[in-house]
Amino acid sequence: MISRIRYMFREMWASLSRNLTLTIAAVITSTLSLFLFGGTLLIQRAFNNQMQQWTGGVEMLVYVNHGTPQESIDLIGRAIGEQTQVVEAVEYCDEACSAEVAKELLAADPEFLALLLPEIPSYFKVKPVDKDNSDLLKSMSEEFGDLPNVNNVLTPDEAVEQLELFKSFFGVRVFILSLFLLSTSALLIWNTIRTAMFARRREIEVMKLVGATNWFIRLPFMLEGLLQGIVGAVLGSGALLWVNSNWTSGVEGFPSDTGLKGMVVTDSYPLWVCMVIVGLGALVGTVSSATAASKFLDV
Amino acid sequence: MIRLENVTKSYSRDVVALRDANFDIAKGEFVFLVGPSGSGKSTLLRLMNRQEKPERGAVWVAGRNINDMPDSKVPHLRRNIGNIFQDYKLLPNRTVFENVAFAMEVIGKPRHMIRQQVPAVLELVGLGGKQERFPHQLSGGEQQRVSIARAFVNRPLILIADEPTGNLDPGTGEGIMRLLDRINKTGTTVVMATHDQRIVNMMRKRVIQLDRGVIVRDQARGVYE
Repeated sequence: MISRIRYMFREMWASLSRNLTLTIAAVITSTLSLFLFGGTLLIQRAFNNQMQQWTGGVEMLVYVNHGTPQESIDLIGRAIGEQTQVVEAVEYCDEACSAEVAKELLAADPEFLALLLPEIPSYFKVKPVDKDNSDLLKSMSEEFGDLPNVNNVLTPDEAVEQLELFKSFFGVRVFILSLFLLSTSALLIWNTIRTAMFARRREIEVMKLVGATNWFIRLPFMLEGLLQGIVGAVLGSGALLWVNSNWTSGVEGFPSDTGLKGMVVTDSYPLWVCMVIVGLGALVGTVSSATAASKFLDV
Repeated sequence: MIRLENVTKSYSRDVVALRDANFDIAKGEFVFLVGPSGSGKSTLLRLMNRQEKPERGAVWVAGRNINDMPDSKVPHLRRNIGNIFQDYKLLPNRTVFENVAFAMEVIGKPRHMIRQQVPAVLELVGLGGKQERFPHQLSGGEQQRVSIARAFVNRPLILIADEPTGNLDPGTGEGIMRLLDRINKTGTTVVMATHDQRIVNMMRKRVIQLDRGVIVRDQARGVYE
């Protein structure tokens, strides 16, 4: 068993060094495609974080007229809460709570605050089940707006909508690009293995004739593909962590109104993305090389 | 050891390589397959190690019908069959020792066994002092000896040789035949395809003659006609 393992690793190294340029090309493409793939995940997350910071996690505010009796408020609360298919959570902020929030938000504008406080409305904070579905938010807004004593319904503002639009535009295109690059990298690994097998066709012929099993012949080539995929993924992960760290520290100094300060990923999510990338790299490498090794075994 | 029953093999509708071939080869026999180019000698050898499968008939090797054998078992069949080729099929980037060891390595033989058996078999074929040479540093006859050592190192039951003297001068060819004869005397069955009239006549072993895919003669202690 040990001699077999030693043989496989020795053959893998020999093959890798023999096709060095092709191997490097496959690794670079894997690095780039997996970096972009991971980047897509991080960008989506950064957009979500930015949105969370802007909206505080509340996607809809239902304002109730000042001085509405408690029974009518309860009625509105029930009417919203009963929509369990579209409403995930609902929380009431009475006039006192609303006044506290206003004092915080409008601390810099005491005149407007003084005008607002005597007539301040209470409100319901509503979290829809699908916060990204703009049609759903619109129909909910219309429905809740028609309830008696409801003053106004606020859905995410234009900036948030634009951010959503930008997120989906950017995210989808980068994701498609990364998939293309991932396919290219799979094909390059496939081609590297094919070339390696062609270069060793005489050895393979002899191996088959002396009774080596197909798995024994295939395994060094599969290991070669696996290694190419993993090395590409590790380099891509390193690049991703480096870019993320630079971006995070870079935007820290930006003014708040640029809208970029919150567009960062600072938790353990990047590490999770790196693990996904390494897994994906290993999978692409193994599947491409196994397919090539099986297809070209009869060289 | 080897039995063919009504074996027919064709590569296309017009090219029938072998037609209704029948014969038995006993354990320890030495058999020549003779006939002109395209008569079906190589096809016959390829049928014996399951490089080819016949359209009709059965090929029995060591008591097993190898046509019905699942593909996963073929490597185990081939471990009992050594192959020798006209063009040697040596690996140019490996030394003599490594070329022979390769046949043991790829079937998972342990290192200590390789270190023990390879020098012994190289000694047997007369290449004792040339273990570290590369194939291009050897003569044709020596390269064929390496090929024989590689075929024999796993002690197969059968040795299949396809024109092993085809690229060699008569003197060197005779040396190779003496070596194959020695191996045959250890109990290994040898089946050899050849055009070499002189060698067949010199050895006086069983001769199976083929002509356009048909066995036209099967003669004990035969000569080339």
